[in-house]
Amino acid sequence: MLNEERVILMTRMVSYEKNEGRKNRKIGSYFRSDYIAVQILKSVICSTIVFVVIFGLYLLYNVDELMQDLYTIDLFAYAKTVLTYYGVTVVGYGVITYAACSWRYARAKRSLKNYYNNLKKLNSLYSESK
Amino acid sequence: MTALLEVKEKLRQIYGKYEVFILPVAKFLLAFITLNALNGRMGYMTQLDDMVIVLIVALTCSFLPMGILVVFATIFSLAHMYALSMEVALVGLCVYLVMYLLYFRFSPKDALVVVLTPLLCGMRIPYVVPIAAGLLCGPSCVVSVSCGVVVYYMIEVVVGISSNIKTMGDDAILEKIRMALEGIIGNKAMIVVIAAFAVTALVVYLIRRMSVDYAWTIAILAGAVTDVAALLVGDLLYDVNFSVGGALLGNLLAVAVAMAIQFLRFCVDYKRTEKVQFEDDEYYYYVKAVPKMTVAVPARTVKRINSQQHRTGGEAERRPASGSARNAGATGRRPASAESSGGEERRRETAERTGAGRRSVTTERTNYGRKGAQRAPYGGQRGGRTASGKSVTIGSARDTGTDAGDSDTDQADEWL
Repeated sequence: MLNEERVILMTRMVSYEKNEGRKNRKIGSYFRSDYIAVQILKSVICSTIVFVVIFGLYLLYNVDELMQDLYTIDLFAYAKTVLTYYGVTVVGYGVITYAACSWRYARAKRSLKNYYNNLKKLNSLYSESK
Repeated sequence: MTALLEVKEKLRQIYGKYEVFILPVAKFLLAFITLNALNGRMGYMTQLDDMVIVLIVALTCSFLPMGILVVFATIFSLAHMYALSMEVALVGLCVYLVMYLLYFRFSPKDALVVVLTPLLCGMRIPYVVPIAAGLLCGPSCVVSVSCGVVVYYMIEVVVGISSNIKTMGDDAILEKIRMALEGIIGNKAMIVVIAAFAVTALVVYLIRRMSVDYAWTIAILAGAVTDVAALLVGDLLYDVNFSVGGALLGNLLAVAVAMAIQFLRFCVDYKRTEKVQFEDDEYYYYVKAVPKMTVAVPARTVKRINSQQHRTGGEAERRPASGSARNAGATGRRPASAESSGGEERRRETAERTGAGRRSVTTERTNYGRKGAQRAPYGGQRGGRTASGKSVTIGSARDTGTDAGDSDTDQADEWL
């Protein structure tokens, strides 16, 4: 005999598993600290590439001035400034990543908890029907 | 309003039924329009500016995830830039790389906004984007919309400098890069539009999340006003010569589109709002429940399934006595045709037979003029014509001696 409530529940759960659930389960398989650490590591790599790209464009744009001032500017101070910018970029992006991933992890966990509750409910519906 | 809601429900049903076809077709059309627009606007690489290639790529996009369209659009634009000048393509690649690495790593779903924004900007109706994004997406849509605006202006800059680039020699590498970068970074119009669209999307998002009546409508109107105001302020500050009339008309159009989106996505009846208050051990709850506006679309209803045996002789064609009826009845259709005049008209439409047994399905078209009691219960009016509903009678008669088509005419009472 078809149990309407059970069918509705199963349909919702399958829909969740197919879409959002897949991603959330992947997130949920990590400890919070591990997940955030991995994401921050990726962010550091990404922000480094972005910084290199932007700095490369900057160098190309100002190559004439740089070549003229190459022997007059303090290269250590220049490198220090560049590294400061790099640090600000990486740290800034890392902080944004930390906030976004913390929120995402909490949401995924909440969502998975709801999903497991539904599983339990489904199990109890099966038990009732027997 | 009821008619509109019925149309909406029907649209929903049609979408639910044919989603498998509608989605690929929509993706195909979007990809086709996007790539054609790119080819039309840039078109420096003649090999890509070919309808066959566009069709093949659009067809590929139709059954792949939406992100692939973004990838193809990026490849197309970079290829056109490369055909113009390698240096310009390098600058374009850097801009795309920065966008993808910094933002789309987090929210690849918003990539659609980055495709739609330049597309609609090219069609001179960009004002729909921030309002629609604010209504349908989260706060991160601000960045997506901004990225879309950057892409649009980058393409415009490339198109603008193309004539100069073509006249430059191959050795003017730095000049070309400088020209492209100056065009993008020093584009005040782009900065003003990014700021205006970001503020608009944020205002729309924040207001539509508020727990006030008509929040979506207020958000749409506030968004349009904010957009116009921000563009005017930007125009005054940076002197970028926006068309005020165009902005007003564009925002009016955006309001109309946003209202349509609201109707499809958030159609509620504030007149029937209920405010309830209750408590449990830990909290007091102040709940505001706003009912959705819905209308039940009349659907076909299967009225009764009969399984009966007839054993009549005479003119009927004889069947083997061992014949067994299949269970599942075929559907017959009986429009509730109350306007037919007099009498009872019966028509047998289908008679299905199978090897050892057979099933006869009788579909009756009955005039209810005389037999009001036989009217089918439907839509609050038994047997009457309804908006679009049809009552259907299915009969599965297992005949052992005669064809159901020749059985006695008084069977109508049994069907009903």
